[in-house]
Amino acid sequence: MTPVSRKLYTDDVSLLVVLIDTNPYFWSTNNSGLPYSKFLSHLVAFLNSILLLNQLNQVVGIATGVNSCGYIYDSSLAPPNKRAETLLQKLEEFVIKDEELSAEDSVDGIKSSLLSGSLSMALCYIQRVLRSGSLHPQPRILCLHGSPDGPGQYVAVMNSIFSAQRSMLPIDSCVIGAQHSAFLQQASHITGGIYSKPQQLDGLFQYLSTLFATDLHSRSFIQLHKSVGVDFRASCFCHKSTIDMGYICSVCLSIFCKPHKKCSTCGSTFGQPQATVSPTNLKRKAPDS
Amino acid sequence: MPEVRIIAKNFMDMVASLPATKLDNLYHNAFICEAILRSLPPLAKKYVLQMLYIIEPIVTTSMEAWVAAEGMSKHRVAIDKLVQLRLFTETVDRKRETTYRLNPTFQKNLQNHILHGGVLPREPMKINVRLPSSADLDAYASGQWESFLLHLISSTEAEATRNISSSMMKIFQRGLLSQRDREAPMLTESGFQFLLMDTNAQLWYVIREYITHCEERGVDTSDLISFLLELSFHVSGEAYNMNTLSHSQGSIVKDLADLGLVKLQQGMKESWFIPTKLAINLSISLSDASSRKQGYVVVETNFRLYAYTTSKLHCEILRLFARIEYQLPNLIVGAITKENLYKAFQNGITSDQIICFLQQNAHPRVAEKVPSVPENVTDQIRLWESDLNRVEMTPSHLYDEFPSRDAFEAACDFAREYGGLLWEDSVKMRVIVKAETYDHMKRFLRQK
Repeated sequence: MTPVSRKLYTDDVSLLVVLIDTNPYFWSTNNSGLPYSKFLSHLVAFLNSILLLNQLNQVVGIATGVNSCGYIYDSSLAPPNKRAETLLQKLEEFVIKDEELSAEDSVDGIKSSLLSGSLSMALCYIQRVLRSGSLHPQPRILCLHGSPDGPGQYVAVMNSIFSAQRSMLPIDSCVIGAQHSAFLQQASHITGGIYSKPQQLDGLFQYLSTLFATDLHSRSFIQLHKSVGVDFRASCFCHKSTIDMGYICSVCLSIFCKPHKKCSTCGSTFGQPQATVSPTNLKRKAPDS
Repeated sequence: MPEVRIIAKNFMDMVASLPATKLDNLYHNAFICEAILRSLPPLAKKYVLQMLYIIEPIVTTSMEAWVAAEGMSKHRVAIDKLVQLRLFTETVDRKRETTYRLNPTFQKNLQNHILHGGVLPREPMKINVRLPSSADLDAYASGQWESFLLHLISSTEAEATRNISSSMMKIFQRGLLSQRDREAPMLTESGFQFLLMDTNAQLWYVIREYITHCEERGVDTSDLISFLLELSFHVSGEAYNMNTLSHSQGSIVKDLADLGLVKLQQGMKESWFIPTKLAINLSISLSDASSRKQGYVVVETNFRLYAYTTSKLHCEILRLFARIEYQLPNLIVGAITKENLYKAFQNGITSDQIICFLQQNAHPRVAEKVPSVPENVTDQIRLWESDLNRVEMTPSHLYDEFPSRDAFEAACDFAREYGGLLWEDSVKMRVIVKAETYDHMKRFLRQK
């Protein structure tokens, strides 16, 4: 007999953490037929439907800005009849604050949102819920992301993905931008979530409710959208550019696009390329062994 | 006396068994739509959500493509449930294919809900009286509920603080207690099982009884159900004006206050009701584990039982299967003994129910351990139960002194054909046949 205390809730109670991309650069240039306002109305409808499905379901919204991230919504705190108002008001406050930050340090070329930041915030939130007592719903993360990947966040994003994998949290991703996102493809692939890039964005709600509203329990016996392929390319640590082939530090596995004398991450010194000076290599190795 | 079967999750079956027109009427109420959606199996919920904006009927074959092969049985359960609740209308189209579409009223209500978010059934009152805190309210609700249960099982135990009308009490006691004239009422088998259920299941049982009771008085059940479900969408701890209720709803609220579902308060001019957690739990998907309380029982390997509780009800429940030795202000010490368990088994409680109860109510300190109840205790409880079942009694008839071996063999064959043969002795020509087949045997033998 299974211990009764283990099974604390019905199988389909979920805690959904939604990461909302608020990148103004993306939304202003986005011509895929989904203006920001439309996107928000799809989103609000989706959040409502999640909360409709089960009284114990919880939704947490985290805004992914260009310079900062922030919690903007928590269904357990907001009154049920003012969900949309609370969400939109907080979102607006967040966008204004985010914009102020960008005025201060005007580094040009920032076009990507802080996915790594919001992912870690989501993970922190979920960890807090998981550690606060024995009663908790099944958590999952949903990224609604439009802006292109920022190769500079590669390490941070990958670390978040691996910690999500360790705590068995699926990361679902819905890409609303023009190109596929390699980060999110890898995130969903590694954590066992769903990756989808809707073809017709005016029907976003249908995509969201069909794919991403499915609770973790039902996923095992439903035919869900299978991703076509995953872009496993990495970013190099030196110039933060995405590369197909590169050099890897044998000690700490850092990735570089050009050969270096010394690893910038762990400080180990590399030998010269093998073909030219193999005798020196051997000599240096000998005392070590 | 009608036999009452205790099933925890049958409220929705009750809704489903309403006549079609009444059921369709219920869906005009947005809260009912919400509550019903929440009570569906997960897969059915998903289908409803998926088809929310689809007006065209969908062919069965394309719906089957949604599920993986291993989920087919769940798919069928979900579809059956949806059709049974009349959420899906089944039609056969020109190509002789079965198609489904969502009930339009239900669909429209849910669409509204999704666009505008949840609405509250009525606005909370603005009053400048300090309302009870949520802890106070919880304490009130559980206190009220416990004294109701205590009253239910032993009318003499509870002090005269209860004001539930005795006629209503009788309704609840029907099926749980059996009273022979002049004797003290005795708990029936289902009564014992009722006590071991968790609060939510008990609540639903009582509410069901209450609904049948009202039905007998001529109150429309669908109104009552819709009000009860509506009540569960109020915010716990807020005050709501009694004036917003209709006359019949007002009297329902008064009954519910006795059960601890709402707290009634009287102000200078107006009176109001405050829903408690119990009321809010009404519409939570009626799963067994959704409202877990803090456990209090510690069972040791030497069959001793410590219960950290001040509640009289808990003591009464433990008394069902254990010997209570000491009763201290916050602790009850008892022992699980063979005699007490035999008494429990005789009353119709099964070993699984007892073990399940001990596990579900395990004290947090031992609940973390696996198993929370020592294995030797659970094994022994099961063994004692199987001890009782070692001898199985089957009413039967013995036939002997057959006139000939042929007649004996024919009789044996006949009994075997009916599956009634228990034992035969071909030397002394004796046969034992189950009592059910007695009539057939008699007819058969007479023909000979």
